[in-house]
Amino acid sequence: MNIAPYSEDQTDALQEVANIAMGQAGDSLARIMGHFVELSVPRIRLVTVQDLVATVSEMVGAKEDVAAVRQAFYNQLRGEAIVVIKQSGADELAELMDYEDEVDSEAEEELLLEVANLLVGAIINGISETLEAELGFSAPSLMTTGAPLERVLTPDKLTWSHALLVEVHLCIEGHKFKSHLLLFMAEESIDALRGILDNFIDDL
Amino acid sequence: MADTPQLLDFIVDRTHAGIFVVDRDMRIVLWNQFMEVHSGRKRDELLDQDLFDAFPELPRKWLTRKINNVFILKNFSFTSWEQRPYLFKFPHNRPVTGGVDCMRQDCTLMPVKNDAGEVEYVCFTLFDVTDTSIYQMQLEDLTKQLRDASNRDGLTGLHNRRFIEETLASEFARAQRHDHALSLIITDIDHFKRVNDEHGHLAGDEVLRRVAQRLNDGLRISDHLGRYGGEEFLVVLPETPLEGAETLCERLRQAIAEEPIPLGDGALPVSISLGISQFRPGVRNYEQLIEEADQALYRAKETGRNRYTIFQPPSAA
Repeated sequence: MNIAPYSEDQTDALQEVANIAMGQAGDSLARIMGHFVELSVPRIRLVTVQDLVATVSEMVGAKEDVAAVRQAFYNQLRGEAIVVIKQSGADELAELMDYEDEVDSEAEEELLLEVANLLVGAIINGISETLEAELGFSAPSLMTTGAPLERVLTPDKLTWSHALLVEVHLCIEGHKFKSHLLLFMAEESIDALRGILDNFIDDL
Repeated sequence: MADTPQLLDFIVDRTHAGIFVVDRDMRIVLWNQFMEVHSGRKRDELLDQDLFDAFPELPRKWLTRKINNVFILKNFSFTSWEQRPYLFKFPHNRPVTGGVDCMRQDCTLMPVKNDAGEVEYVCFTLFDVTDTSIYQMQLEDLTKQLRDASNRDGLTGLHNRRFIEETLASEFARAQRHDHALSLIITDIDHFKRVNDEHGHLAGDEVLRRVAQRLNDGLRISDHLGRYGGEEFLVVLPETPLEGAETLCERLRQAIAEEPIPLGDGALPVSISLGISQFRPGVRNYEQLIEEADQALYRAKETGRNRYTIFQPPSAA
């Protein structure tokens, strides 16, 4: 991994923070879902807005229909998280989240939002606890319930040029459910994070 | 600064949003004025009470789980009126102009941690978003009307050319992807120019409207009909093999020819000709299907009108 604006120590620290955060997130999610939740080693990189679609496609597949939810986080770090859930696993959400009633389209949307909020919360809290930051969240909102990602993520609607992207894959033991979580932190947070990482390194 | 805690208490109590707090045992530990006013329940009777005993109408299982998740994950949680219109059934401030039955609500569940970092309480903030929801519903209605209007032909009320072509394009893509059958019919009113010339354009318009109506009445539920040009109509028949298309053609032909079209005091006998084309491997695009149906229609005209013909693909020699 090589992220241009960060020193080698900072880059290592960032990866370490992300790894610890995923461990914590996995534990919390497992307690809620009642199943073992497997999180990939987070992949961190700097992307330009032009590369965004290509980068995300490589990961998720740009043509495949997916459900996607976005949610903002703010305070010492500002950015947006996008949770992408493959259609094939979306049917299992009701069971995973213990919904008993008939799942109509509103309930389905609510489930998507709920699960996205849990994933984002678990991961962001993991990061903020490790970094001793206190982050707030906006309410999650639906980007799509069934469209290819390339139609949802259009670079001309994005107002930044560079972003730090943290990607994590997530699957649940014994289920088809698969999800990708993308955390974007825009330019100003890239600088803010540098200071936070230095503090983290000093505290070690 | 000595007054700050008092000031905060005052603001929490009087702010224009519902704020209440529950502990791990779901007991109510704070209930602000907004909640008092809208629920009609005083905090004195509610404090220390179980939330679900006090409000048995709350969706207990779902909400318990949601609150517990905040305790476990130390995480914010949310509800939105768009999926769940309200948590508490409160009256709203637009009893006359609203058009919705009760207050629409967005809620935030916030973890309240103690010094050890454990979540001790969950704080609910409940926002009245009734106005927003009404504007959004009006906007959605309007968007739907506009979309619908932009897809319709003004004279006949059928789908217009752009929309029926889009429908054909997407059905073509689907047929290609799943190797499904797909038939296309082009139909055209026989000697329509003569109607216009002999009876005037108003009569012509009336004939177009009546023919459109009869065609529309003759369709099956899954068929798509649109006005393609002056007196030309397109019927897209998803998952329909040739026999089905032929049956439909004959039914439509009869529906028009059987009974003259009432016009002023009299009635005008009208007929249509039809051409059928079929999706098959090797058809490049939907435009080719239109072209082939058009050729078939031309042959129907040539061979006497008031009939359908089928496009014959050149046999693979």
